[in-house]
Amino acid sequence: MKSAVRYGVVMAAVLCMVMGSGCRTARQKAGTEGDEVIITDKPMSSRFETGQRVNVSFENILFDYDSFKIKQSEVGKVDAVATYMSQNGDVVCVLEGHCDERGSNEYNMSLGEQRGQSVRQQLIGLGVSNDRLQTRSFGEERPVDPGHDESAWRQNRRVEFAVFK
Amino acid sequence: MTVRFLVLLVLVACSASVRAADIVITKGGAAKSSLDTAGLMLQSDGEAQTFKRTLENDLVRSGWFTISGPGQGMLALFGAQDAGGGRFAVRCGVRNTANGKQFMDEKYRDDGDGVRRLAHRVADDIVFAVRGVKGFAGTRITMVGVKGASKDIYVCDADGDGLMRITKDGVVCIAPHWSQDGKSVVYTSFKSGYPDVYLSDLSAMKRRRISGFAGLNSGASMSPDGRWIALTLSKDGNPELYKLAIADGKPVRLTRTRYASEASPSWSPDGSRIVFVSDQGGSPQLYTIPASGGAPQRLTFKGGQNVSPDWGPDGRIACSRLWGGHYQIVVIEPGTGLELPLVSDGADYEDPSWARDGRHIVCSRAVNYRPELYILDTLGDPPIRFGALEGEWRSPDWSSE
Repeated sequence: MKSAVRYGVVMAAVLCMVMGSGCRTARQKAGTEGDEVIITDKPMSSRFETGQRVNVSFENILFDYDSFKIKQSEVGKVDAVATYMSQNGDVVCVLEGHCDERGSNEYNMSLGEQRGQSVRQQLIGLGVSNDRLQTRSFGEERPVDPGHDESAWRQNRRVEFAVFK
Repeated sequence: MTVRFLVLLVLVACSASVRAADIVITKGGAAKSSLDTAGLMLQSDGEAQTFKRTLENDLVRSGWFTISGPGQGMLALFGAQDAGGGRFAVRCGVRNTANGKQFMDEKYRDDGDGVRRLAHRVADDIVFAVRGVKGFAGTRITMVGVKGASKDIYVCDADGDGLMRITKDGVVCIAPHWSQDGKSVVYTSFKSGYPDVYLSDLSAMKRRRISGFAGLNSGASMSPDGRWIALTLSKDGNPELYKLAIADGKPVRLTRTRYASEASPSWSPDGSRIVFVSDQGGSPQLYTIPASGGAPQRLTFKGGQNVSPDWGPDGRIACSRLWGGHYQIVVIEPGTGLELPLVSDGADYEDPSWARDGRHIVCSRAVNYRPELYILDTLGDPPIRFGALEGEWRSPDWSSE
């Protein structure tokens, strides 16, 4: 009796996995074939002319290794930028994503961009208009600290804010 | 009757696996043929001697030959330089010294490109005639050279000669890749202030920007038929894999990973599939996808990271794997899943690129984060430092022509 129940549970689990993975594949396939827009995409607006650099500095957003998630400790820093931008309606901001030197230069271009995009999403969520934001990933190419240890790497995994009029 | 059938089945299976095991790292390096070059009669002037030195160097670098003392090779060159005036010309052949069998016997003339290029051509012909393999002597390598804050694209011959700088914008350039015909290089440059993709036609000395969408444009790799570029774009809000038609610049999206990013695409030799890096599984790993679009298939499961794939001419994929705290080059057969890690000596090996012989790989090797270019051998010869280039060099790509 018990083994039959166990057997039934296993079979149900297997069926769920098989059907579940089939659904996921179908969704992926549907996503890549047509030009349908997925709701969660937030396309970039066109690049703007950056004009004059505004001499205001914001704290860099720091990230964990291989991560693009905005940590709780960094949220306040993003808030500060959003506040400034709502009070200064004529400025635009370029979000510059960076990585530490480990890993391939190419993957780090994508990871740096992903970090910039995370901050961009956060700012849009806080009310900053999409057409006032651009991203620019430097990957591992522009470290602030040239050192080869965690204290340097920690500073290099960052997003910087470049504000222009 | 069934026993005999089963035995036959087992033997067939074993023979198939013996062929895969042909490609094995042997501790002592690959087997080489000793080649006596003394029988190639050349004049003693500078040009002829440059030809001879270049030829011998190419033959040794091919990995298939050693140069023997006079009269001592298994193989021997024969032929002579044309005595008449005008450009350098030579007849060159190869024979087996034991049985006299001739592998080749050809006439060559410098057509204006110089004796070094001619020697490369002869060396590749010898490699093909004796071994049936495409030599790489006539190919070129492109790479990034670091000078202060500038990172520029350079090109040089496969023996390290003829170094040429092809960008001079005083900005950062990243990840150059050759077109299949060896005439153009695509790369990422910050010339506009943003990471954009440029295409440089080396013979016409012209370049144009081919991708400048908002956000990231990077990782460009040209398709074998020369019609497409696979690359990473973030214009839709997230770094994803796209392909771009070179003719009209229209992008076609290939991946949709909202909470992950893609990078480093590389085309299969027949252009039907693309291998790329994605961190959708939590860490950067290799995936393959049909070039026409479809579901990505994960390829790598070992190592903290698998990055910088290069899909080689015989179908094997080379990549850089984070393993035991260092990056090492691993060669993967996508069909069987067979994996061959290459040298592991505590240095970081990154950015592999296949030579067209399907045997050698150029990559960067870094000790204490200072990268230099090295050539690795999948048949077991020790790594050799590439050229006499001083300074910091990375991201090499090896041309097919």
